[in-house]
Amino acid sequence: MQDAITTLINSSDMQGRYLDNSGVDKLRSYFQSGEMRARAAIAISANASPLVTQAVAKALMYTDITAPGGNMYTCRRYAACIRDMDYFLRYATYAMLAGDTSILDERILNGLRETYNSLGVPVGATIRAVQAMKEVTTDLIGADAGREMSVYFDYICAGLS
Amino acid sequence: MSIITQSITKADREARYLNPSELTAIHDFYQTGRERLRIANILSSHETQIVEQGSRRFWERCPITPSNCGNPVYQASCLRDQSWYVRLVTYAVVVGDIEPIADSGIRGAKRMYSSLGVPLNNLVSCMSCLKEAALAILTVEDAAVVAPYFDYLIQGLR
Repeated sequence: MQDAITTLINSSDMQGRYLDNSGVDKLRSYFQSGEMRARAAIAISANASPLVTQAVAKALMYTDITAPGGNMYTCRRYAACIRDMDYFLRYATYAMLAGDTSILDERILNGLRETYNSLGVPVGATIRAVQAMKEVTTDLIGADAGREMSVYFDYICAGLS
Repeated sequence: MSIITQSITKADREARYLNPSELTAIHDFYQTGRERLRIANILSSHETQIVEQGSRRFWERCPITPSNCGNPVYQASCLRDQSWYVRLVTYAVVVGDIEPIADSGIRGAKRMYSSLGVPLNNLVSCMSCLKEAALAILTVEDAAVVAPYFDYLIQGLR
């Protein structure tokens, strides 16, 4: 995986250049937002499972998907769904700390759509659940940090659709 | 690899969130980021001067070396490589880790310089001179941040 710093350094190194002004500015604002990132990560990790519960309740629980014939019907499938939501939240939190999306591609998105299609998991409902997770997470960590987390939740949604 | 990537990779291997001590360390890293950018900027804006001073010292210390034999190509390559090493040190300062130096500056370097006929002892002297020239333009506090990366480089080329 990469983070905001290593991405810039690797591309500068390939061009044999020092970090340019725009790179330095980017890093400066990344470091400046560090306090917010660390706080958000602490809050999310302390509340990961209620966040997933709330997101699932908000987006999925009372829809056809949990009824017989739906893709979350039977506890086994329900459990698989909340496990995936757990993953999405944890990896989005990693990516937010790193300020970089590469870990989402490497660990979540590569092949995910194909896997979901082959398992019959509805992508639309998954995206609704991730969007719900974005909302409940923002409620917890506040608007500024929520905007930053949204970047990574939206990246997951974009990768799925 | 920055401490951020290191901690995330480790936490991911154990399928957990980062623990409070890892987050504290990352927080400290964010806080010192501005300082590291400032120091890297001093080095990059004085690159020419550092390389010039470093080379002068080096040729005094090791007068018999390919870059000082009158061949302009050898001399230019020596100056260019020194500027590359200054650049790698600035990367290391920014990311707070030796990885950029190890990956781009040390792995394979000894074999490459040997095959080019550059005496390795002289290469090490040259890097020591570069270090002295770089630290000379920094304050004591800033020099203390930068010195370990030059030391790592010098050790790695031994």
